[in-house]
Amino acid sequence: MTLQAKTLVLALGNDILGDDGVAFYAARLLRAEFPKSVVVVETGEAGLPLLDHLESYGRALILDAAATGKCPAGTILRWDREDFRRCVAPSQHSAGLPHILELAERLGLAFPTELQVVCMEVSDPTVFRETLTAEAKQALPAMAAAAREILTAWGCRE
Amino acid sequence: MEKTAQKVWNQAHQQANSGKRTVSIDPITRLEGHGKIEIFLNDQGNVDRAYLQIPELRGFEVFCQGRPSEDMPQLTSRICGVCPTAHHMASTKALDALYEVDCHPAGRKIRELVYNAFMLEDHALHVYVLGGPDFIVGPDAPKELRNIVGVIGKVGLDVGKKVISMRRRIREIINYAGGKVIHPVLGLPGGVAKGISPAELPKFKEIAKEGLEFAKFTLQVFHDIVLKNEAYVKLITSDAFTHKTYYMGMVDKNNKVNFYDGDLRVVTPEGKEFAKFPVRDYLEHIAEHVEPWSYIKFPFLKKVGWKGFTEGADSGIFAVAPMARLNAADGMATPEAQKAYEEYFKVLGGKPVHHTLANHWARVVEMIQAAERMVELLNDPEIVSGEFRTIPTKIPKIGVGAVEAPRGTLIHQYETDEKGLIKRANLIVATLNNSARIAMSVDKAAKGLIKEGVVNDGLLNMVEMAFRAYDPCFGCATHTLPGEMPMVVTLRDLKGEVIREIRR
Repeated sequence: MTLQAKTLVLALGNDILGDDGVAFYAARLLRAEFPKSVVVVETGEAGLPLLDHLESYGRALILDAAATGKCPAGTILRWDREDFRRCVAPSQHSAGLPHILELAERLGLAFPTELQVVCMEVSDPTVFRETLTAEAKQALPAMAAAAREILTAWGCRE
Repeated sequence: MEKTAQKVWNQAHQQANSGKRTVSIDPITRLEGHGKIEIFLNDQGNVDRAYLQIPELRGFEVFCQGRPSEDMPQLTSRICGVCPTAHHMASTKALDALYEVDCHPAGRKIRELVYNAFMLEDHALHVYVLGGPDFIVGPDAPKELRNIVGVIGKVGLDVGKKVISMRRRIREIINYAGGKVIHPVLGLPGGVAKGISPAELPKFKEIAKEGLEFAKFTLQVFHDIVLKNEAYVKLITSDAFTHKTYYMGMVDKNNKVNFYDGDLRVVTPEGKEFAKFPVRDYLEHIAEHVEPWSYIKFPFLKKVGWKGFTEGADSGIFAVAPMARLNAADGMATPEAQKAYEEYFKVLGGKPVHHTLANHWARVVEMIQAAERMVELLNDPEIVSGEFRTIPTKIPKIGVGAVEAPRGTLIHQYETDEKGLIKRANLIVATLNNSARIAMSVDKAAKGLIKEGVVNDGLLNMVEMAFRAYDPCFGCATHTLPGEMPMVVTLRDLKGEVIREIRR
């Protein structure tokens, strides 16, 4: 099966910053459920390296932790590509996902035509620890379920 | 609340209650979110004080305690998704010191090759992607164009493709030697885990050569777009972006810029050598000041002392990063970079350069040195040596290691117990070294733009420019989807009441 025909699940985060690594836990659940039709990648990278991960896949589901501060910790948030088009503010340090997507489009790179993002709102991803908080643990099945729903709708079966 | 924070908070309250301090900040406002700026206006509507709040990751020391010291290069490289190689290398060098072992000469060359490749790639990213909006696109451009997309619009699609492909090619070297970029497994006390196969050498030489051409091309872009624009040069040298401080950077035995190894050299605001010391002595020279409004500490030169957020020879505030490195050295270590260095100081009026925005130009000069050094190292026959590690034999106790990270001096210090397990770990990261100067830059930009309660619409751009030139590292914490680290400027009166909030 070519990469174009495959679906990528890209989990972003930092596994030594507690809930910032929650996407990895969800990704591991999905890896076991979709061993053939989905490629699951876990990365702590940010910015342009995301180009390398996303290129050549037809569809991509990004999992991440978010700290919007606008909803309770454990809330599952979903965005799609159109949401990113509205987000053009410059980032102070690293190139954000919206820029990566826009850049790929301008440069004509082979990029996922379908892209969805599932995030969990987390409360404090600034303390070093290798475990999740109770809120994140409790919300993990809901995060995996949201991801599963998208993958199933894309025709991923196993 | 942490004990130290509690202490300074109480001090602040005492000061406020005694009438000596007019600003009161609720601790809840500390360090939440990214790039948060608090501006306090006086009764006339002018700026009393402006702060940039940088989030700090907490609990690292406790997290490290009891772990085997040899795990630290892997562990610390996971701190940040942006500069893992810098942490990995500083940590590996701290292990050399901890085990009292000299790195094998071939291992040192491999480390240096990987490190220069990283510097070239990271600097290129900043020039085109992060700093580009300020200079290549322009500070007055509409905000929707002040990003990588605007940069591509200005330099052309082909250059955009070149940036992406060059970055990937350079990362091939890092991946080969380090196993992977994000969690490299290259560094071991006394050397490296893997040598370079002679079969790979032609490809790597080609990449390094292309890297050098790319760095020189970038200097040309800087010439054409920035230096030929009188308004940009005026902005670089304007008082709003100028501070006369001390500067620190790593130098080799000839006092030339070195990213991987050497002594730390400090020069005065007049450019004279103030101190030069081995990294292990850093605590004799650098102390940290604490402020009530931030968990971030503010390093300063111990022998000068903390005199508040003021510049000049009487204030111990110093800067790191590209401009500081060029100021602190007597020159570049490679010929093409030396030419660029000489032109840089000639155009900017001699040493030292105090203009914060000159960091962008200094970064391009450093790109050239990084690429030239890669070429030199790959032409050294020892780089493909079959031996690349000296096995340590001593029991570890205490070790300090440092590198020049893209954004300044990065220091790791570890202490171990009799079993070699970590007892104490202390990191001074580059952005922290710059924190006092960054605070002054933000304050100066805000004071220059806000008059009698009228907030200039250019405030955000100008304040952003004031701290982005330092390439400050906010990348360690959460990814903050939907993808951006939102900047929030909050204007308050002296009672702390919010007058206005500007977001983007």
